[in-house]
Amino acid sequence: MSTRVGVGTKILGAAAFVSLGALAVFALVVAPPDERQGDAQRLMYVHVPAAWLAYLAFFVTAVASVLWLVPRTRSTTWDLLAGASAEIGVVFTGLTLVLGSLWGRPTWGTWWEWDARVTTTAVLFFLYLGYLALRRTGATAQERGTRCAIAALIAFVDVPIVHFSVTWWETLHQEATVFNRDLDVQFEGFWMPFTLIFAVFAFTLLYAFLVMVRLRLAELDEGREERQLEEAIAERVAVTV
Amino acid sequence: MDDNWGYVVAGYVITIAVLSAYGGWMWFRLRRARRADLDH
Amino acid sequence: MNMFREALLVAGKDLRIEARSRVALQQIVPFGGIVLIVFAFALDPDRGLLPRVAPGLFWTAVLLASLLSITRSFSIEEANGARDGLRLSGLDGGAIFLGKAAAVALQLLLLEVVLGFGVVVLYDVSVRGVVLIACTTVVATVALAATGTVYGVLAAGLRARETLVPLLVLPAVTPVVLGGTRAFEAALAGAPSDGWPWVQLLAAFAVLAVVAGVLAFGPLLEEDS
Repeated sequence: MSTRVGVGTKILGAAAFVSLGALAVFALVVAPPDERQGDAQRLMYVHVPAAWLAYLAFFVTAVASVLWLVPRTRSTTWDLLAGASAEIGVVFTGLTLVLGSLWGRPTWGTWWEWDARVTTTAVLFFLYLGYLALRRTGATAQERGTRCAIAALIAFVDVPIVHFSVTWWETLHQEATVFNRDLDVQFEGFWMPFTLIFAVFAFTLLYAFLVMVRLRLAELDEGREERQLEEAIAERVAVTV
Repeated sequence: MDDNWGYVVAGYVITIAVLSAYGGWMWFRLRRARRADLDH
Repeated sequence: MNMFREALLVAGKDLRIEARSRVALQQIVPFGGIVLIVFAFALDPDRGLLPRVAPGLFWTAVLLASLLSITRSFSIEEANGARDGLRLSGLDGGAIFLGKAAAVALQLLLLEVVLGFGVVVLYDVSVRGVVLIACTTVVATVALAATGTVYGVLAAGLRARETLVPLLVLPAVTPVVLGGTRAFEAALAGAPSDGWPWVQLLAAFAVLAVVAGVLAFGPLLEEDS
């Protein structure tokens, strides 16, 4: 198997790189500062796409997990894709939390807030960190595929439950002052919403590129594992013969 | 308002650093796989 | 044999093993007790904090102890190829799940009764809303036992299972801790009507967890590790 990525992936990478460069210009120079948050609002142009990417990545993991579990569609590729996408998802979830924290400090005055979105994102991070740890317990897809797929699906279903329960808690909570902060960011005029949408687009290209590269890497590792397994078996057979 | 730029710069720098590190790690592993392939 | 009978068979087996080994009684319940005491060291009893946060501390102690129960539920299957025995027994995977989860749930309920007394005595809590507390406890325990049993079989046989199970279970059951604590708080505050909606949430979670377990247990048990 080639250790190089395909042409399509390279084009994706180039497109992502260019878009992200353009995004930096739009976000840091062209877009105006917010009335209330000032320039801190510019963090939204990376924080929001990062969060979107994380959810997209975990969605892909869930779909790939289903495809693995269904016997008719079962294939090593789905297991590898699930793992690759989840890893990218964890990276972006971590980034989401950090960027959100950096945005929250000047805007809310605190590094952290126990509202539904932030809390759920934190739980999400650990759910999939556990998934990644689980993936390392099996060297080949055959060994780890089913248990990882089920763990991924449980995690995926659990996230809306966590979000719902914390949201509910917020609405029932007595102290209105804590949760009445204006957590929703306004994107007014033209350049703000444009930059945001462009950011989501650029990050989606980035995701596509990263997942293709990560998948190739996973395929190589899998191939090497299977080769080592075959060699070990062949050695054993040679001894007994 | 100007001191908010500190947070913005920190955020963008961290983003670029993390993405570069992750991308770099993958590229490095692909290269190592290429060398191992050549040895076979 | 129908699924219910099979589940009863498996639950009976697990409970008989517990009756003979007494691990839950002699190790897991005391562990819950010492956790309650550790909280007192961590939270300074003199500041009047303990009675206010007692519901949260109770459920945290139960949660930590449940990790031990879950790991134990599957470590008993490791000796003498018992896991292969289960696989070859012809019992339905879903039935095995229900049986094991029920055994864990029963042990947790026993633990919770003891810890409940512990919390009342150690943290100076006045008990109100007993019906709400009882219902919350049952539903939350089913949710906890079912979710934990799924992860238990998922990690069974793996060398890293003792560290994996806690990492996998804790994030997944955060809604149970949230719901249980809020319901208890409502009961103790004399406002049970605030608590019953949480019981509904817990019930929904429990149903989902049981359904997931019944579906997933068979395929997970078949996995070679």
